[in-house]
Amino acid sequence: MSFEIPIGPQHPALKEPISLRMTVEGEVITGADIRLGYNHRGVEKVAEEKNWTQNIYLAERICGICSHSHATCFVQGVEKLMELQPPKRGLYIRYLVSELERVHSHLLWLGVAGHEAGFDSFFMYTWRDREIVMDLLEMITGNRVHYAINAIGGVRRDLDEGQKAKVLEGVATLRKRSVYYFRIGATEPSFVARIAGVGMLSLEQAVALCACGPTARASGWARDVRKEDPYAVYDELDFAVCTADTCDVLGRVVVRVKELLESYNMIEQMIRNLPGGDIACKAPRKAKPGEVVSRYEAPRGENIHYIKANGTDKPERLKVRAPTLGNYPATVEMLRNGFIADIPLIFAAIDPCICCAERTVTLIGARSGEESVVRMSDLRRRALARPENALLKRNAVWPF
Amino acid sequence: MTDAELIEKLKADLGDRVEIANPAPRRLFLKVAPRVLVDVTTRLRDAYGLVFLSTISGLDNGATFEIIYHFSTPGQDFNIRTEVPKDAPRVPSITPVIPGAILYEREIQEMFGIVVDGIPDGRRLMLSDDWPEGQFPLRKDWRHARPQEVIPGGES
Amino acid sequence: MLNKLARWSRIKSPWILHLNSGACNACDIEIVAALTPRFDVERFGILLKATPRHADVIIASGPVTRQIRERIIRIYEQTPDPKFVIAVGACAMSGCVYRGSYNIMGGLDQVIPVNMYVPGCPARPDAIVDGVVKLLGKL
Repeated sequence: MSFEIPIGPQHPALKEPISLRMTVEGEVITGADIRLGYNHRGVEKVAEEKNWTQNIYLAERICGICSHSHATCFVQGVEKLMELQPPKRGLYIRYLVSELERVHSHLLWLGVAGHEAGFDSFFMYTWRDREIVMDLLEMITGNRVHYAINAIGGVRRDLDEGQKAKVLEGVATLRKRSVYYFRIGATEPSFVARIAGVGMLSLEQAVALCACGPTARASGWARDVRKEDPYAVYDELDFAVCTADTCDVLGRVVVRVKELLESYNMIEQMIRNLPGGDIACKAPRKAKPGEVVSRYEAPRGENIHYIKANGTDKPERLKVRAPTLGNYPATVEMLRNGFIADIPLIFAAIDPCICCAERTVTLIGARSGEESVVRMSDLRRRALARPENALLKRNAVWPF
Repeated sequence: MTDAELIEKLKADLGDRVEIANPAPRRLFLKVAPRVLVDVTTRLRDAYGLVFLSTISGLDNGATFEIIYHFSTPGQDFNIRTEVPKDAPRVPSITPVIPGAILYEREIQEMFGIVVDGIPDGRRLMLSDDWPEGQFPLRKDWRHARPQEVIPGGES
Repeated sequence: MLNKLARWSRIKSPWILHLNSGACNACDIEIVAALTPRFDVERFGILLKATPRHADVIIASGPVTRQIRERIIRIYEQTPDPKFVIAVGACAMSGCVYRGSYNIMGGLDQVIPVNMYVPGCPARPDAIVDGVVKLLGKL
């Protein structure tokens, strides 16, 4: 007998309060469906009524976690439209903030993964360390979340010697702690057993469904915009594209952990090689008619902005695609044949922007039509109590 | 493969079915007619490895709608554009070729009112349940009338 | 006597429901950050709850989108009396940059009564903690 479970839309902590409708057969999910729109704010229409500078701040507020990603992606495109070449120092500072943002976002996600797997001390540890990055970002930009450091033609704030030293010091601390925690994770067999073999997405499926970012890389598909379409400073930096081939939540954790370590390297390289000179050049008020496709590797995957200008100070069209949207078809596939208890873990594994701190799930009995409300914490408890019957669990090893 | 070599190869392969522009390094804009869209997409997927669809953008150009399919390969960015008249906006679905296109096709369908022929699942995606039928917010001639806001407790 | 006890426990340990009414997530991570070791609201007895039926205080962030409006009213009605609503961030106060969009109701107070506003885009965790404490002071 099959049941249908609606999840959401009350996801208090999600970027997009989303409604998932699962068809389940006993404990096993046989189908999933997605309804978006609870968080649709009509940004693309609003953007047509604002000028280029105002739109930087609008683009920043598309998402609160990858705010710098959207603003940078937009600014990058507008600079191409206006045929501006921002000074090197400005670009270095801009992408330094990008990498710091990636660190903050991945630490946040690791904490959430720990939380959803029932490893709450991991959550508290990583979020404590995340505050180090937040402090660095606040020091550089002046705000904790919406940094607003981008300007058309460069950045707004310069970096001095003391700040450079502090960033290096912060990154050194983070690297030491990260490595230590990941070793703890390695010796914690229950954590590895919980996430191995959950939410499988094979390489063929990932390619067919156009998954992007760490979700695709965890299935062994080495796509990274920074490498294949190197924008601004990325062709001067030395880094590797991190992949995993386990195709499950464990793989997604591994990819993000490796990316964290790569980001620490990149931050150090950028600070050491920071060129002198100006941080911004003067930008015109209007852009010539034209169109541009701007791509950017956000912490969750590829961001793409299509911008069309018509010669005025406002865009004709701004089309935004955030990586999470690109990962939804893949999520539906991952949920299929999973267990109800794995829903929070699988859904969190694409990193739908934030910790699903606590959510409400309504279970509707198909026979009686009665609704009963189950909290996400209960689901998690059930998840922990689940007998070890899944495949691949016994021999799972932490790859570090 | 450099952009110029690739353009030569594409021209030889696809003939006069496409118009190719190359406004920036690593960016190719291909223009095709809606009726050959699925053929061209299939050919590009099989022969050039265009498997990754980033998104589909819709554009309102006044008399026509323009639809741009943003693909990318490790070397280049392919943007396939097609144009349909506004009084009969119909495009074929590419979901059978690229399964990941489904959400983007649903999006242009509700935002612009472009009918996607053969879409496996044409339900609403973004707009709310009580959204009136026949209203397409991203069309240029669509205007939003802002409702009167109330100040709680009255003006002071 | 019982009232006194209930009031005392409400002030000493308010339970909170976090509600995203269409926010960009920035205020939401700051609310979650308030739970983590740096800010640690739990030392004041503030506890995040999952269901509206257990909550005393609703912390809402975000301009109200058209689709979520009905759900917010339902959640508000499910919360037992006496209930308090804190609007966190500029969006929940007035709609912020999205003001004037077709899918935005323009502020939380257009939909449900609000007791306290915490400004900021996003509001810092310390501001959020301060907002809750100030609200308790008024009880």
